[in-house]
Amino acid sequence: MKARPAIFALLLFFAATTGLFSLFAPRFATASNMENLMSGFSFVAILAIGQAFPILVRGIDLSVGAIVAVVGMVTFDLSLMFHVPGFAVLPLVLIVGTLAGALNGALIVSLRLQPFIATLATLAAYRGLVYSISGRQLVPGLSTTPITDKWITGLENYFDIGGMTGLSHAIAMPWFPLSFFVMLAVLAVFQFILLKTRFGRDIYTVGGNFEAARLAGIKTNRVIIAAYSISGFCAAMAALLLVARLTTSTEALGTGMELSAIAAVVIGGVSLQGGTGSVFGPALGAFLLGIVLLGLTLLGVSQFVQQILTGVILLAAVSYDRLLVLRQQRRLKANLAAGH
Amino acid sequence: MGTAAQISGFGRRIAPHALPLAILVIVVVFAIAQPAFLKPENLIGILRQVALVGIMATATTFVIMTGGVDLSVGPVLAISGLVSYFCLAAGYPLPVVLAAGLGLGLFIGFANGAVIAFLGLPPIIVTLATLSIVRGSALLLGGPDLHLIREESAYTFIGTGNILGIPVSIYLFIAVALVLIFVQRRTPLGMLVAAVGENERAAFLSGHNTALTKTLIYGLSGLGAGFAGIIQSSQVHTAAATYGPFGTELDVIAAVVLGGTSLMGGSGSVARTVMGVLFLGIMNNGMNILNVPIDMQLIAKGTIIVVALAIAELK
Amino acid sequence: MSVTPLISGKGLTKVYGNFVALADASIAVMAGEVRALIGSNGAGKSTLIKVLTGAIAPTLGTVEVEGVIAPLGNPTEMIARGVACIYQHSNLAPAMSVLDNIYLGRQPTRGFGLLDRKTQRANALVLLERHGIDLDLDAIVGALPTVKQKEVEIAKALALDAKVLLMDEPTGWLAAADVARLHDTIRTLKARGVAIVYISHMLDEIFAVCDTMTIMRDGKVIAESAVKDIKRPKVVELMVGEKLARDSAGAALVGRKPRGSGAVRLGVQNLTKRGVFKNVSFDVHAGEIFCITGLIGSKRTEVMHALFGSDQFDSGTVELDGKAVKFGHPAEAMAAGIGFVTEDRHREGLMLGLKVTDNLVMATLKKFWRFGLLDRGGIERSAKKSILDLNVQPPDGRKLVKLLSGGNQQKVLLGKWLNLSPRVIILDEPTVGVDVGAKAEIYAILRAERDKGAAVLVVSSDLEEVMTVADRIGIMVSGQLKAIHDADKVTMSQVVNEIGEAA
Repeated sequence: MKARPAIFALLLFFAATTGLFSLFAPRFATASNMENLMSGFSFVAILAIGQAFPILVRGIDLSVGAIVAVVGMVTFDLSLMFHVPGFAVLPLVLIVGTLAGALNGALIVSLRLQPFIATLATLAAYRGLVYSISGRQLVPGLSTTPITDKWITGLENYFDIGGMTGLSHAIAMPWFPLSFFVMLAVLAVFQFILLKTRFGRDIYTVGGNFEAARLAGIKTNRVIIAAYSISGFCAAMAALLLVARLTTSTEALGTGMELSAIAAVVIGGVSLQGGTGSVFGPALGAFLLGIVLLGLTLLGVSQFVQQILTGVILLAAVSYDRLLVLRQQRRLKANLAAGH
Repeated sequence: MGTAAQISGFGRRIAPHALPLAILVIVVVFAIAQPAFLKPENLIGILRQVALVGIMATATTFVIMTGGVDLSVGPVLAISGLVSYFCLAAGYPLPVVLAAGLGLGLFIGFANGAVIAFLGLPPIIVTLATLSIVRGSALLLGGPDLHLIREESAYTFIGTGNILGIPVSIYLFIAVALVLIFVQRRTPLGMLVAAVGENERAAFLSGHNTALTKTLIYGLSGLGAGFAGIIQSSQVHTAAATYGPFGTELDVIAAVVLGGTSLMGGSGSVARTVMGVLFLGIMNNGMNILNVPIDMQLIAKGTIIVVALAIAELK
Repeated sequence: MSVTPLISGKGLTKVYGNFVALADASIAVMAGEVRALIGSNGAGKSTLIKVLTGAIAPTLGTVEVEGVIAPLGNPTEMIARGVACIYQHSNLAPAMSVLDNIYLGRQPTRGFGLLDRKTQRANALVLLERHGIDLDLDAIVGALPTVKQKEVEIAKALALDAKVLLMDEPTGWLAAADVARLHDTIRTLKARGVAIVYISHMLDEIFAVCDTMTIMRDGKVIAESAVKDIKRPKVVELMVGEKLARDSAGAALVGRKPRGSGAVRLGVQNLTKRGVFKNVSFDVHAGEIFCITGLIGSKRTEVMHALFGSDQFDSGTVELDGKAVKFGHPAEAMAAGIGFVTEDRHREGLMLGLKVTDNLVMATLKKFWRFGLLDRGGIERSAKKSILDLNVQPPDGRKLVKLLSGGNQQKVLLGKWLNLSPRVIILDEPTVGVDVGAKAEIYAILRAERDKGAAVLVVSSDLEEVMTVADRIGIMVSGQLKAIHDADKVTMSQVVNEIGEAA
């Protein structure tokens, strides 16, 4: 597939923003700040990669934050209440997240609910579920007990790539968090699936023209359920990284994260009309969001202003998306004119 | 086949009355399970509890009828309360205080509507962005702290006063509902909302200003949230940027949707939204009385909405 | 030739609400047979095709492929049985490449769902080569001109190696040379034993490429015949119904009033919208019915929207009673006395979920504003009068419009605009999906409006309709108004020829 100009624009914008903050924000272009960026936004990027799939099939998943909380709490319970070993916890909770996503998809296709209302409803239901399974409340003593299982805490690990390769003699290199590599792996896998497999093509077809997909014999219901399952899977992945960092979980884990994820996806050039975009854009979008927010923090801007800016960036991104659609329509008309 | 047809025929006949019937059923169930449920104090309590969501839900019904949605009601509620508080603290007279709170809600609603109607952006994303922007602004304005409202008997009367033993907030809810029912049935705006919801393109081609209509109704939704913010701050004698937390918009949308307004736009009715509000209020109250834990309540609410929507889809 | 048809439908019936789209229709196509499926708009051709492809499930009836009963309403199963279709509207994924669209949902894989790009590309090249189609496989479909998109659709259907190929107006967008090439492809496929169903409004095409024909009217199959055994006038008569043909011939003989009163009500000069239509000029006089006909896609509707202010034009002038006007919004055109009965009553015309009464006053709502409130009584009275005048059945203003038949829905739409007492009334395809009786009533209403002095401007693809109601006829080809004739001085075959001229 040819790289689309939207991605180039995004990369350019990414570079420009980084350049600006490097010039004006104190301590922005430092190894420790890059470390903050990678550790603080890798899981947002993973959520965005997952969120891209529902949006590619012309839906949306508002429940990812709640799924993060469910998975976080299940990890907490399995590890601290039931003493399940970490190597078993990891696959189990990934399955839990995937199933939570699959349920979203199933509600949408079987009950023909609008995606945003179905996932808004499951957002509430999953949050409720978190409280009812909360090990913090069932066994109050555990709320101050950290998770110590090496399999889980091992996810919060840093690698001194610069030191290992000797590059740090030449330049100050940040230590790379494992979460960053997990993000890269998730990105590689899903980008590959999108571009190189039949399933990936089906995602684009269902999102681009649902009726055409149905008439072409594509099992549209399965594709949609799979898209939401991927979103759930990625939410579970992000939850694990968060739990590893906090060495515990809370009922409020992941609150409001759907907003960042959706913003990253839209910034990343995935059209809300469905059928266009990739997962590379959303991942990049997440880090762009991160750069702006971290840069502003370093400039001393209040976090409340950052919340405002997240909203403004989301609006700007969706306006840009709209502009591209309009421009494409105009180009189509010009094409028609050339045909005559 | 025959039975299925019979069932769906039965469903179609029963559907318009499903909500009042459901309300009747849960009232009976709760009354049997816990006779205290039927005490006048409890019934008034239910109305008092639903007044805020009720005002927001009736005010946002038109938005949902046009296939839109307003996710920003929670932060709008918070910021309107805060602005009113600051006006009070600055010593402005009550009418100015109210105008400030209501005006800000109206303004944010208009901004939502204008962006959605004139730029053609999707309502979910626009109001999600507004949610973030308004919440951030509220926090910037008021910080994360609670602001105590003291010695303002006229202002606190709105939320805590009684007339003939019934809280003022209930009168306000009823008044808002009646006004909006009247607007829907007897004014050109009501007709235009129905027309835009049914077929926006046809409404435009019939010479109507659909963009203006949409801007107006988002304004109305913001106004409702602003009004709710004033009532809440006066009810609890405090204003805070964190009021109307995430999930408020879900309660509001749930009430509208339970009232039979389709999220795809089209038919809908303020009067039925009121019933949706009552249904949710009675469920909440009953579950509280029966000591159902909060997590089960959340799950039950999600399930009820999904089931209600699925039934609406079957129609 | 085998005795068992490759595909057949028996007793197919499709009911939407109380509208019967298809009534006990049967069709059978042998291997190597090209069967034309013809009828006026709304005769049920598209519905029949969709039932055969599994896009929709019929209410009653069976579909057999090679004598074996096929599952209904399941496109996957029909594709597996070798039934392919080129639909009227686009069935492509706009953001994907031509290559992906040709193999939509069936891209070759190397196991584990991995795409086999090499095989896919090689197959596609062979396919395009064999059928002489020129396409850039890596182009993004959404960026292609519509004609090219149609070719992608054709390639997509051909790639299925289908035993049965259904074509729903495949030439609607094609120029004459492209049509000829498509016909060559059809003949090649026919020689290979493919069964083909071909829907077209163009009798020329049908007589050029088809062996047999099935004629439909009002959801029923009216006649079947070999193409060589039937003459064109007979086909037309069967399509529109003998009585209507006779009536309209009668009405046409007495009633033509070219140029009406002689005063130009609506003057259009050199109207141009870049890339859409160019130098369109015509006058509509008070007291005449001016019909603009042409192929679907010849941009007639776009011209009407530009006149009405619901779309813009780049250059040219529009005069109303000699005064130059340019409307930025439909409301301005309406204030100047122009009414517009839009093309697709479900998408653009009616609020299906609202009552008949509300729909009837939708364009004239301002008349009923009383100090910010609606005059409900006045609305009811006005609607009641319209319902009686137009003979809407059932005569109940509280009925939801979606529960009415197509003809009555169309009368409500017409009534909505007549309430405006328009001095110019534009109607776009005013009788699509309308039964014969309601059609005659609508024609009578149009003539009555004309005789009251209105300028009536009708856009129609239905030539019978044009020949029936028009006082003058304009012919539009590819965004240009090619010719204008007095209706009593031109024959249908002349009009057909001019419409079919190469773009």
